Amino acid sequence: MNQAIRDKAKELLASGAVSCVIGYDVGSDGINARPFFAYTEEEADGLAFDQTCTHNLVKYLIDRAGKATAIVVKPCDARALTVLINEKQVKREEVFIIGAVCHGIIESTWGQKGSDLQGRCQTCTQHTPLVYDLLVGEPMAEPTPKAPLDHRAATLANMSVAERAAFWAEQFQRCLRCNACRQVCPGCYCAECFVDQLDPEWVGIRIDLPEKWLWNTIRAFHLAGRCVGCDECQRVCPVNIPLGLLNHKLEEEVATLFDFRPGVKADVPAPLETFKKDEKLGIGE
Amino acid sequence: MALDYQPKIVGFLCNWCSYAGADMAGTSRLTYPPNIRIIRVPCSGRVDATLVTKCFQQGADAVLVAGCHPGECHYSEGNYHARRRFTVLRELLSFLGIEKDRLRLEWVSAAEGKKFSQLVSEFSAEIAHLGPRKDNGKAAGGSL
Ligand code: SF4
Ligand code: SF4
Ligand code: SF4
Ligand code: FES
Repeated sequence: MNQAIRDKAKELLASGAVSCVIGYDVGSDGINARPFFAYTEEEADGLAFDQTCTHNLVKYLIDRAGKATAIVVKPCDARALTVLINEKQVKREEVFIIGAVCHGIIESTWGQKGSDLQGRCQTCTQHTPLVYDLLVGEPMAEPTPKAPLDHRAATLANMSVAERAAFWAEQFQRCLRCNACRQVCPGCYCAECFVDQLDPEWVGIRIDLPEKWLWNTIRAFHLAGRCVGCDECQRVCPVNIPLGLLNHKLEEEVATLFDFRPGVKADVPAPLETFKKDEKLGIGE
Repeated sequence: MALDYQPKIVGFLCNWCSYAGADMAGTSRLTYPPNIRIIRVPCSGRVDATLVTKCFQQGADAVLVAGCHPGECHYSEGNYHARRRFTVLRELLSFLGIEKDRLRLEWVSAAEGKKFSQLVSEFSAEIAHLGPRKDNGKAAGGSL
């Protein structure tokens, strides 16, 4: 797999078809992958793909607009890339997609390789990217879909509103407003995020629950119908707020209401960008 | 619950229909409860999810968004967008601990003064019945 990626990267760089290959190399702890940008054939020898390649790299393509780029994507990253292409943030013709068959990413920490698959990978049903120019790795059979791992999703659904409110207050209370969840999200590419706006100041700077609540609510809502479920936001949250629960809830709603899964099809608008005149949604009737 | 509990409702009314409908209610001397604070907007499609969520953050008990009937939006399709947006936002808010009934989207034309007054009376009674919000956003929130 590594050789196939390196060979293709070198070929693309040598011919001038692309000026950069975005992928992974082995990080400075000698174990975990990190994002890696190869601009020369020599650098392309550093490219590697393994089960520690957790990062979704597609967001880097936005800054490469106008410059032909190759990128290594996992299946979930490929869905995020389709979202960016559909939203006209990335031009399909400027990107060479090296799709990697993914056997799941392993939970690991600095300097230490774990043994368990990440939660998103335990329930994943798409191990081969849906879109690519070159596929690396052998396609594998897909498992039958499983219910979300986080049992709190089911518990929350059966709680009273007051209990749910209390649950979320406890979670959001910990938010540091570090914005890491936004920085890592492929769908969060706004030039000026609502949380940074000062006039109007949607979210105040006071370190208090209502501000954190508003931030987390709107961040999740902005990803409704766009989130590909990569769980990167949850992974990077320093205080372990279960953002995935919010994202998955919205993912389910969008699937039920609009029969839509983000990043699966090219050239389709996100459900909240479009409408059907005669639809019955249970409100405004 | 105390009988004197008065819910605070924020109403975003489309300038081209519902706002005129509210006006019509006024000029026809129809009464409706004073619990609603009206904000005039150019179209129901203008009502961003953040506006509504901000109202809840600031302590509103309920939010009403009212616009032109389907097919009658001054900008052709703002109300269709609003319909999708608030369907999804309601689900999210409910998951976060705010009852779905606290957010309503309704169509009220400029001629429907009576409908507007009935709507506000009904909605306000319903919210009074639900009682104050049960989530912490309210407890720690501002005042309207
Ligand atoms: S899981 Fe999180 S980071 Fe990934 S697309 Fe959804 S909101 Fe963005
Ligand atoms: S949270 Fe919303 S406004 Fe901020 S970057 Fe993400 S999508 Fe844009
Ligand atoms: S990553 Fe976590 S702590 Fe940081 S802003 Fe997002 S939710 Fe808050
Ligand atoms: S102009 Fe009234 S809803 Fe669009």
